[in-house]
Amino acid sequence: MAAVLPVGSDLSGAMNRFLKTILEKDIVDAVLMPMKVPSGDSFAWIIMSDSSIVDDAEAMAPVMPVQGARALRSLTRKGEGSIRVLALMRPCEIRAAIELSKLGQVKTENLILAAYDCPGAVPMDSFVSDPSSGEDLFRKMLAGEDVSAGEVKPSCTSCVEFSMTDADLHFGHFGLGGTEVLLIPGSPKGMEILEALELPADRETSIWDEAVRKRREKQVASRDAAFEETGENIRGVQGMLNVFADCISCRNCRAACPICYCRLCHFESETAKQDPNSRLDSAVTRGGISLPADRMLFHTGRMTHMSLSCVSCGQCSDACPADIPVAQVFSFVADRTQKAFEYSAGRNDGDPLPLRSFMKSELSGIHEMVSDAEPGGHAHE
Amino acid sequence: MNSIVMKQDASTAIRELLAYLLSSSRVDAVLTMRQVPETGSCDLGLITDPSGMVEAEPFLPVMTANAGQALSSISMSGKRIAAVLKPCELRGFTERVKREQGSFDNLLTISSICGGVFPLEKVISGDLEKLVPRYIEKTARAEAPRGLRETCKACEEFVPMNADISVSVTEHGSLMHLHSDRAEEYTEGFEGERIEARADQSHIDRMMKSRSAAKGKLFQSLEKSSGLDGLVDLFGKCVGCHGCSRVCPICYCQHCDFESINFDYNQPYFQESLEARGALRLPPDTILFQLGRLTHMSFSCVGCGMCSDVCPVSIPVAGIFKKTGERTAGLFDYVPGRDSEEPIPVMVFKEEELGDIG
Repeated sequence: MAAVLPVGSDLSGAMNRFLKTILEKDIVDAVLMPMKVPSGDSFAWIIMSDSSIVDDAEAMAPVMPVQGARALRSLTRKGEGSIRVLALMRPCEIRAAIELSKLGQVKTENLILAAYDCPGAVPMDSFVSDPSSGEDLFRKMLAGEDVSAGEVKPSCTSCVEFSMTDADLHFGHFGLGGTEVLLIPGSPKGMEILEALELPADRETSIWDEAVRKRREKQVASRDAAFEETGENIRGVQGMLNVFADCISCRNCRAACPICYCRLCHFESETAKQDPNSRLDSAVTRGGISLPADRMLFHTGRMTHMSLSCVSCGQCSDACPADIPVAQVFSFVADRTQKAFEYSAGRNDGDPLPLRSFMKSELSGIHEMVSDAEPGGHAHE
Repeated sequence: MNSIVMKQDASTAIRELLAYLLSSSRVDAVLTMRQVPETGSCDLGLITDPSGMVEAEPFLPVMTANAGQALSSISMSGKRIAAVLKPCELRGFTERVKREQGSFDNLLTISSICGGVFPLEKVISGDLEKLVPRYIEKTARAEAPRGLRETCKACEEFVPMNADISVSVTEHGSLMHLHSDRAEEYTEGFEGERIEARADQSHIDRMMKSRSAAKGKLFQSLEKSSGLDGLVDLFGKCVGCHGCSRVCPICYCQHCDFESINFDYNQPYFQESLEARGALRLPPDTILFQLGRLTHMSFSCVGCGMCSDVCPVSIPVAGIFKKTGERTAGLFDYVPGRDSEEPIPVMVFKEEELGDIG
């Protein structure tokens, strides 16, 4: 059941008005939402306590320049605030925030996490080169019109978690023709907001449910196709080497990743630094080495560190100057590592992080998984 | 100056020299750009086996990483290394040596009068095959090839400043100039006619003319970025990935101050900011990072352009840093990478200086 927010002419505008109202009525102390930057070619996260500023903000931005969980991390890393903040974000951003809260990097006690039905995002490079086309494209995406897959972030075209997350409040608009938005409470915190606004959650949601189900079906098919292609591309060591051949070791992927929260990445630390002499020695052994060194080790290492919490937001691909399909690879691997632990990143269902929970007996099938991953694809006798 | 006449094209000749240095055990390893013939993929190779030299493309107009940065740690191995560096890579390396991040002790540096490099996006998109032949033609005539990095078009430091060996290529042929005793010693026995010659000054002058004009235009285009509003306009879309600092040959800090705990804020800060301003951008300090980095390294900026190449939102970082760098370095009559003995301005104490700064 849900409450109803009438839309009028502008979906995003209606959500803006809602946020303005909860600020004006002191239901929350501040909201965190995107706002266009002065140059007009991107958006930034702005936390605002002054309700008049909400007029200049944009509830749903066409792009995801900074993963929202990173914004929340910067706000609460040093501890819970005394002010209540509602953060309106994409589902993958909420999921990343939940992962970060499990990792102790986001404190959610005074946060109200709100999400919306996400039609996907426009890749940053195409948006900055032509913002007005990017905004037109996003309007079409919001209206549910068909756009060509190449225009949307690749990870969005195969996203199956585009709607209901474990947010406190969800803005559902798919299948409602742009005339109204369903306010779906996901927790007591979300319920309290609706109660404070005297909005009864009395609308049944079957039309929206059906629209989300249909879209998910389509997205699942597109994800399965993407996984199949990626699985082929990264098969074996040579496959991985080919996919990451153009990596220049800038580590933008790590910096853009909401999960990679380490202040000093292991792979940039003293520990990972190889002694120059042994570096030379390995060059001699192999006839030559590629510099900057250990690029493959970095990617597989990062994968080991964070794939269990990967939310497939695609920020890594967006930030890669060498156009490597980092997100597709990480998403593919994450799907498998998370399945191995029956874990789903971004769920607020009390499931602890797999690496932090001890079980006497687990992963008994690891041998088959390893041999399956080898070229040839079949378990060895 | 003692010079060696190159009978073949410069790349082939240097490839042969590098193979000679390896097989005669004058050096233990060679650092050069490589290109994998099958995939077209480029990287920096540290090669020890002379047979690996077939993939070497010493003068490929591509910079996947500033080689001065890549060379930094391995130059301190005590092994002898011959490194082919673009002038800005050599200058970047020189700046690192001043910061005790590298050593010239066992290094033979080979550089060339540089025609510039193509942006990474052109390399990735597979356009090189078409671009490189035209590039070679144009640069031999001292003309500016199209599509180069913005900072390369505007680079006036295209003549190597302190290389052991420098290469000059004109329509009339290619020469290897030997600038140091080490160069003489290492090339001893390497085949090729020795003549007394310098790089063709009129060729350099013609290149300089187009570079200076392009620099004027580049700096002019950045004028709008003056003042705080200008900075906000330029850097407002920064996503805070700090890729610019990681690929910078000067930014050598293992743990950047702006990623340290010094820039984590506690709740009172946020609450006070909200009370005072009504709104605040998160994560904070977008412009502060850029200004801070400018303060930390601009006087050593060699204008290599790596920062712009990796910026996911196409901010003209390199142009801004180069422009600022020329001013800050200029205050101290300092030229980054000119001379490894020249001290870094901020490391020198003078009782009286910058009297007119106010």
